[in-house]
Amino acid sequence: MDTISFPDVTQLAVPIFIAAILGEFLWIALKGRGGRYETRDAVTSLIMGAGSVASGILLGFIAWGFFMVLWEITPLDLGTSIGVIILCFVLDDLRYYWVHRFGHRIRWVWASHVNHHSSQHYNLTTALRQTWTGTFTFMMVVRAPLVLLGFHPALVLFVGGINLVYQFWIHTEAIGKMPRWFEAVMNTPSHHRAHHGRNPRYLDCNYAGVFIIWDKMFGTFVPEQDSDPVDYGLVYNIATFNPLRVAFHEWVAIYQDVTQPGLSLKERLLYALAPPGYSHDGSRDTSETIKAKHLARQPQDSGTPGF
Amino acid sequence: MPLELLLILVVGGISAIALLLHLSGRSKSKVMTEPQARDAWMRQFPESPIADLTLARDGHAAVIRTADDSAPLGLVWSFGTDTVARFLEDAKLSPCKKGLHLRLADFSAPAVHLHLDQPEAMLWQGMIEGASAPQSHPQNHPPVQEV
Ligand SMILES: [Zn+2]
Ligand SMILES: [Zn+2]
Repeated sequence: MDTISFPDVTQLAVPIFIAAILGEFLWIALKGRGGRYETRDAVTSLIMGAGSVASGILLGFIAWGFFMVLWEITPLDLGTSIGVIILCFVLDDLRYYWVHRFGHRIRWVWASHVNHHSSQHYNLTTALRQTWTGTFTFMMVVRAPLVLLGFHPALVLFVGGINLVYQFWIHTEAIGKMPRWFEAVMNTPSHHRAHHGRNPRYLDCNYAGVFIIWDKMFGTFVPEQDSDPVDYGLVYNIATFNPLRVAFHEWVAIYQDVTQPGLSLKERLLYALAPPGYSHDGSRDTSETIKAKHLARQPQDSGTPGF
Repeated sequence: MPLELLLILVVGGISAIALLLHLSGRSKSKVMTEPQARDAWMRQFPESPIADLTLARDGHAAVIRTADDSAPLGLVWSFGTDTVARFLEDAKLSPCKKGLHLRLADFSAPAVHLHLDQPEAMLWQGMIEGASAPQSHPQNHPPVQEV
């Protein structure tokens, strides 16, 4: 049972990614709507995607070794029947929800995830703007329960790969809304557009991977509002297309904050672990203060989704 | 998938998409009008209303003096088809052939090339260097109400 192998779906999907990007670009060019493309932005996103696959090949052994240790420990083995694969997929999507939520609420994890949000564009190339530094967030521990429950590590990585591939197609403005039942259960272009918004309303919402139900269950769901078009990107947008700067800018910022003179140990830890925007002197904005300041300027938004 | 095939697909795919985008005119930088430059600044710094804005003749950048006299000068500039903005703290300015080269002490916004003609470059250099020298501002701008 230790020799089971599943295909690496993210690598197999590369030709589909390329074809779909060309398709979306042609659609936008022909229709004159449904999104925007820009050369340097798209190339940076694609290089981030390639680098992410490369970092997976180079550093993947760390998470894999960790999972195999757990697999040795656990007495449980659920096998690989269809039912088990489906159950693993659903539970892994719950795992994704929490890792993604931590990715926005713990600066150490945000330092890795931030680059996915660093483009001011939203098209299929944005989906591939993926992190190079995921291994260093230690978020593989959130997968530990799955392995301990008896899902083989290869199965866990397989369903995680399908989850990521699913999320590719939702990075588009070419699709407005899907049928109602689909919008109710699944993560869709509309829901995920809101997730990529820097508007105060959309900060820290819609963490779902495949099923939007997790956001509805845990109170983080905000539907895209026609009255508040999504402004894509970061609260504090970066001004570089250099993939190295995109990949490491928040790690550098953490280092600079943690090592500044005159801080207590607790403050140094909070600069690394508190939600993004934490500052020891309150000089910076977190998503909470951004929302509060927005409501001070626009009190009529109080009580609407996201506030 | 064999690594060689993956590599060919990735390099070939990125090159093809880059070429297609460039040849179809997707490499242009945003040209701002004055109201657009104002909006671009307020989009980044909604708490820092503008007292005074100087737009570069090519529309790729604007220097901003905010209503807060103690704040450093701000700069908003085109970044591909979008815009970015920063306060000019610890900015190092050097003249170059096409105008001015600005180095910022910011890992995520390391440098800006400002394309300015000779008189414009001198004016901007005066503004930016003048603002970074300690001075008192005689006039107190009332905060501009943004609607
Ligand atoms: Zn996210
Ligand atoms: Zn996304």
